[in-house]
Amino acid sequence: MLLFLILSVAISEAGLKENVFETALPNGLKVILLENHKAPLVTFQVWYRVGSRNESWGKTGLSHMLEHMMFKGTEKVGPEEFSRIVQENGGNDNAFTSRDYTAYFENMSTDRVQIPIDLESDRMHNLLLREQDFRTERMVVMEERRLRTEDNPQANLQEHMEATAFLTSPYHWPTIGWKEDIERFTLDDLKAYYKTYYNPVNAILVVVGDFKREELLPKIEKAFGSITKGIPPNQEKDIDPKQTGERRVFVKKEAQLPYLVTGYHVPNLREPDSYALEVIAALLSAGKSSRLYQSLVREKRLVLSVDADHSLLSRDPSLFYLSAELLPGKEVTEVEKALDQEVERLKEELVGAHELEKAKNQIEASFIFSQDSLFSQAMLLAQHEIALTWRAVDDYLPSIRKVSPEDVQRVVKRYLIQENRTVGILIPLPPKEGKPAPEGPPVKERMIR
Amino acid sequence: MLLVLRCFIPHSAFRIPNFRPLLLILTLTLMWMSLPVGSLQAMPPVQRMTLSNHLILLSSGEHSLPFVTLQLLIDSGSRRDPSGKEGLAYLTAKGLLHGTSKRTINQINEELDFLGASLNSSSGRDYATFSLRVLKKDLEKGFDLFMEVLTQPIFPEEEIKREIEKTLAAIQSEEDQPEEVAEKAFLKALFLNSPYGHPVEGTKESVPKLKREEAILFYRSYYHPNNAILTIVGDITADEIKSKLIPRLEKWSKGKIPKVPFLTTFEKEQKTVKINRPITQANIILGNAGVTRENPDFYALTVMNYILGGGGFASRLMEVIRNKRGLAYSVGSFFDPGKYPGSFQIILQTKNQSTREAISLSLQQMERIQKELVLEKELEAAKKYLIGSFPMRLDTQGKLANFLSQVEYYGLGLDYPEKYPSLIQSVTREDILRVAKKYLYPQKYVLVIVADLKEAGME
Repeated sequence: MLLFLILSVAISEAGLKENVFETALPNGLKVILLENHKAPLVTFQVWYRVGSRNESWGKTGLSHMLEHMMFKGTEKVGPEEFSRIVQENGGNDNAFTSRDYTAYFENMSTDRVQIPIDLESDRMHNLLLREQDFRTERMVVMEERRLRTEDNPQANLQEHMEATAFLTSPYHWPTIGWKEDIERFTLDDLKAYYKTYYNPVNAILVVVGDFKREELLPKIEKAFGSITKGIPPNQEKDIDPKQTGERRVFVKKEAQLPYLVTGYHVPNLREPDSYALEVIAALLSAGKSSRLYQSLVREKRLVLSVDADHSLLSRDPSLFYLSAELLPGKEVTEVEKALDQEVERLKEELVGAHELEKAKNQIEASFIFSQDSLFSQAMLLAQHEIALTWRAVDDYLPSIRKVSPEDVQRVVKRYLIQENRTVGILIPLPPKEGKPAPEGPPVKERMIR
Repeated sequence: MLLVLRCFIPHSAFRIPNFRPLLLILTLTLMWMSLPVGSLQAMPPVQRMTLSNHLILLSSGEHSLPFVTLQLLIDSGSRRDPSGKEGLAYLTAKGLLHGTSKRTINQINEELDFLGASLNSSSGRDYATFSLRVLKKDLEKGFDLFMEVLTQPIFPEEEIKREIEKTLAAIQSEEDQPEEVAEKAFLKALFLNSPYGHPVEGTKESVPKLKREEAILFYRSYYHPNNAILTIVGDITADEIKSKLIPRLEKWSKGKIPKVPFLTTFEKEQKTVKINRPITQANIILGNAGVTRENPDFYALTVMNYILGGGGFASRLMEVIRNKRGLAYSVGSFFDPGKYPGSFQIILQTKNQSTREAISLSLQQMERIQKELVLEKELEAAKKYLIGSFPMRLDTQGKLANFLSQVEYYGLGLDYPEKYPSLIQSVTREDILRVAKKYLYPQKYVLVIVADLKEAGME
């Protein structure tokens, strides 16, 4: 989950400032380059500062829909030819959308780096948005929503919890969008959205791998430099006012086991308290000696799994999550009580030096392990840049090390409090007709009278 | 890339899903892609040796980051589960971490967490893996724990009971995942009688019956150096391995490994299994008997499957079912070759109402690749990807360790990366037609549908 992601995409202790090269082309495109010569490979990534936070009520899911449409071709590249070209060059490509960004990447041998340069610069300004492609791809996105959310009880609950926790912030709606909005938006909506957000001035290029900067940069300048700058879009979004009382939301759905997810409003990396929240998440749920695992899984035997996550790299302030999947026959009230006990313990007793060191060691080791992947390095730089600045990556470990037992106590008392939280509970309904149907003959048409 | 698809990001939506079975293909099949000539530097030098207790040791140093990865492969997978004791191999692998003659489970976890290290064990159908990742500075402490847990586990009664309880709850939880329900039903229907037919973790019927004594017996039978391959990669030198690790490793005692016969009967007729669930999408698996990793047609099958459904957006199934008709978010196919013949599967999800159309389109593609030669340009594109993407299969410690242990397990030879391009290059259009005819059964397939059967018109 989120904690894992943050821990697993971090940067080594050496610091990046001296190794990362940053520049901006005259048209505003920010370029971030990190040479890493471990293998003859490169990850080439384009990040647009647009995600579901940039959408509006009634048009949710537009960012993600446009991400899909970005593979539908330009004058030079036919529909769905993009990935085929990358693969024929021994590369892999994909794209992903979040609340805060939409990102595209190609991983390949360094000697093929011109391929993604040409393809990405082309679709940054030459995308053809065609009605027929749009209609078909919208069906694909509907299938994606069914797969991820409609048929997944836990994801369904998460969506409800977040829609309850965020009232005025655009984090209210899911990244993939509400079903009704996906059915409703039009090709003109997509065209306008593309024009507003897909501009050099709103994009970041991140390349990590086995290249020489003085050779790569001119290629990037040549391909991207002539694209029209565009107008910087308004990125100010509403942030929820302080929550003044606990909110609860229930989902009743056919499912095997109850599930609980709680969200507390917390700051992101712009606030120093955020690093204490990273440590708190590790104290609570990193490893099998962590507090929640020991209490809920081992001692009380209430849950199959339990987790704590902090949203450090969210662009706007987001949530600190506690979640648990119950063992059969256990009550949600018992689980809530056990979670509360552990949170209260952090308020009442200062965490010991050894335990605090353990949490910091875990965070630090995960940092180093994650350096193994070029992709993770690039992603970490880009996520920090979207949230604040890539330079904040270098502050991560020092900020973690500075967290004191008193900080932990103070920050728990400030944020992990009842009136600041939203509790989501999945209540399983028993199956109505769970038995397998009798085995039948091969698929054939039913008889019509 | 796979990496991003593996780590699911809440609040994000991907263009290609976090598609477990497809990832299986990619790890099993693409694992074997090799280097284009001239890029052999991507395969770092590897030392191979056999220790006095017959443990095979593979090692490769890479010093850019201060950590080390150890992966032990033990030939003790779920195919060795005794009948009625399905899940025993898995329980044994998990049980390793539950306490030793010197340390309790809590002490082990406390020490590992303090180092920030990870020590994991699990089982697949062919073999179990036991792996350690630890910072260089803590290598000795981490290796101590690794050896202690491996050679002195005591499988405490109370902890084994907990593990069984946890496994049962996980099995129950998987009932909420239609793709898991479909996969289990498919394997059960295809493997009529086979050590590959049951889920690795066992079933809700078999797991409650497992006993501590059985795990101990299983452990004593199979967990021996002469039944294992150890791969060490990362920030470590040959001298360190020789002076610090080998003396400890050689104290691990040999044993006689029981021979277990492997007999498989596949479903040979067309068979359909329908499972009703109140869901919006039909989860469909369609397939037939597969091959072993040693099958000489493996390379032709790899290329054929890439064109049919393994090549992501370059594949025919993706083109026809997703791109042209918008019927699915994810669709793909794979062979899962093992030590013994596995399966071939096409997996897709589509709204209930499109069930029949999607099945029929999938069958058409199986038939087409059996009837017509693939296009020259399709063949070339497949070969270019398979050969050209090889360096990306070895670019992290975890991937390299996994690759090396499988090269050894399947006896491919350490020169395998050099041989691979020619193995793929030699595949012809005629070969593809031949293997498609031989290994795909578009008439006598096994079909599993987990869906709202009424909406799907499949009642």
